[in-house]
Amino acid sequence: MGYGSTIKVPFGPQHPALKEPANFIFDVDGDIVVGIKPRIGYNHRGMEKAFELRTYLQNVYLAERICGICSDAHATAYVQGVEELLGAEVPPRAKYIRVIVAELERLHSHSLWVGVAAHEIGFDTLFMYLWRDREAVMNLLELISGNRVHYAMNTIGGVRRDIPADLIPKIKQALDFLEERTKYYLNMVKTEQTILKRTVGVGVLPPKDAVDLCAVGPTLRASGIKNDVRADDPYAAYGEIPFNVITHDQGDVFSRMLVRVEEMLESVNMTRYALDHMPAGMIRVKVPMAVPKGEAVSRVEAPRGELIHYAKSNGTTKLERYKVRSPTLGNIPAVCKTLMGGHLADVPIILAGIDPCFSCMDRMAFVDVKTSKHWVWTTQELKRHTSK
Amino acid sequence: MTIATTVLSVLQVLIFPGTLFLLVLAFFYEWINRKFLARLQNRYGPMYTGPGGILQPFADFLKLLSKEDIMPITADTLLFSLAPVFYSALPLTAMFIVPVASQTGLISFEGDLIFVLFIFTLIVVTIFLSGWCSMTRFSVIGGVRAALQMLGYEIPMALAIVGPAIVAKSLSISGIVEWQQSNNIWNILLQPLGFAILVICLLAELGYVPFDIPEAETEIVAGWQTEYSGRKLALFRLGKDFELVFVSALLVSLFLGGPQQVWIVPSIVTFLIKTVAVVLLLTLLRAVFARFRIDQMISGMWKYLLPLAILQIILIQFGLGGLPL
Repeated sequence: MGYGSTIKVPFGPQHPALKEPANFIFDVDGDIVVGIKPRIGYNHRGMEKAFELRTYLQNVYLAERICGICSDAHATAYVQGVEELLGAEVPPRAKYIRVIVAELERLHSHSLWVGVAAHEIGFDTLFMYLWRDREAVMNLLELISGNRVHYAMNTIGGVRRDIPADLIPKIKQALDFLEERTKYYLNMVKTEQTILKRTVGVGVLPPKDAVDLCAVGPTLRASGIKNDVRADDPYAAYGEIPFNVITHDQGDVFSRMLVRVEEMLESVNMTRYALDHMPAGMIRVKVPMAVPKGEAVSRVEAPRGELIHYAKSNGTTKLERYKVRSPTLGNIPAVCKTLMGGHLADVPIILAGIDPCFSCMDRMAFVDVKTSKHWVWTTQELKRHTSK
Repeated sequence: MTIATTVLSVLQVLIFPGTLFLLVLAFFYEWINRKFLARLQNRYGPMYTGPGGILQPFADFLKLLSKEDIMPITADTLLFSLAPVFYSALPLTAMFIVPVASQTGLISFEGDLIFVLFIFTLIVVTIFLSGWCSMTRFSVIGGVRAALQMLGYEIPMALAIVGPAIVAKSLSISGIVEWQQSNNIWNILLQPLGFAILVICLLAELGYVPFDIPEAETEIVAGWQTEYSGRKLALFRLGKDFELVFVSALLVSLFLGGPQQVWIVPSIVTFLIKTVAVVLLLTLLRAVFARFRIDQMISGMWKYLLPLAILQIILIQFGLGGLPL
């Protein structure tokens, strides 16, 4: 240790700070990180190929299973892409229901994140409290969709379940509870000295770097850049619902925390507004099985940031090509930048600061950097590799 | 010395208030610690082993004893095996000095307060060596952090411990307890600042949040304990429990009057009540903070805690903190 020599400290693929497989090797000089080598790709799941093998309707459920936490965001992105290919117009009520489920999902994802962040800095009591109160959102989602994690609300041409009028008072009651608790946590995050000690000025990402390194979502907004797909390119019913894009300009972990907690309050208000202004009518339109030839890009503001789905159809009942760019991938270069020069003890909270979801992120492609040649493996080659 | 007194003193060392009693107490206090922490965090804590899960720490100990014992090939074999033994034996040894069932400890001599400080240091040295001899990254970093942390809290702790010794004019723990009882006052009333400083330093000694830096789970896995498993880990955990008993007993002796006979209530009962109260206090503090970074911890200790500890000593010199005249 020290005396100019560095030691290599590995984080992952199995490490308590990362609940998912990714590997970061840090060169540590004393307590300071002087070098970082990220290695991603441990959890390639063959999702994009699987999309090409299933029908459009089956793919809705597959898209939902890309991620456990932002399942609704992925499903929404997928159905929007297919609806664009089909030229189908979704009924307004369905759009509002999509917003309600998406915002509730953001609520539970953000409260999960704040809990994890508290755990990373050793504040387990806050972690337990947040995850306890998060159950209120989970129950709400179960009340609306029948499921806690994979809501299966979206379908091509609308949503599968309506929100009946008698559920609305119950939902509002839970929202009141959540608002009260979120305000309590906001106050706590702002005033608790040990949290401030560990988060203020830690992992600073200046606005210029945030833009240059293509950061997305709360990470970008915490650097003071007003960027939110919901506001910039409104989808579903976001164009009709008033809301503020939360930004903070410190660019540190504390700002990321504040952005997320304040977004939770914003989500509560948006859900209330959507419940009050939900138009009556159909919740879905019928769509044909086969999709005409074309290409579509669909963008959604997932809880972790901008999510991009690309679909290419060939006129049959199956996709020609599908591509998913999850927000975590966009944030990896930025997080590597913020980790440099920090303390080893700050690594977990900075890494967790982008709310990483490595399993949603990993794709597979072979590229020869020197000749810029790229190729793919066949199923046989993959099998041969796994049985090695 | 007659045979009867020899047998009696052997029984005292082995059974009450010696090893066996302390062993039971260690598991009991771990249970209180875990259960109360869980309730503070809105969890249930241990539930199934015995009433309210009271046997859970003992069950965990037995389970670890039966587990496979793995030693890294790069480790220093002798040191790696000896460290857990030292770690569990040191706080147990120190417990014989602290009065438990009567006014004096099993072993008591003038200057045993210094011996206690020496044992605190030895515990940290054992931690450092156990991390170092594991020869893996996380262990080494954890061990170095433990040693660094000690540089932060050792001096304020020593000063806070010396406070009661000055007013009692005795360097023996039993002497301090006697002084408090003969004057019918507790040191916490005379030196609240010293008590607060000692509690903070002992949190660091125990490695509880906000000072669980040497074993910070999310940063360095289990810190200096990372490579230990099986019965060696069991001994480390037992050592930690002994340390908790020892720390709470020390706080009770120095600041809360020690084991006192009140009316017909025997002194062992007041000792238990007081130590449980201290364990609850330590657990409460453990639940309400986030973890400091090592540099923040050390600079905080030197910037704030050390001046405060010196202030406490100065106050005693000016007659504040001694007996009201």
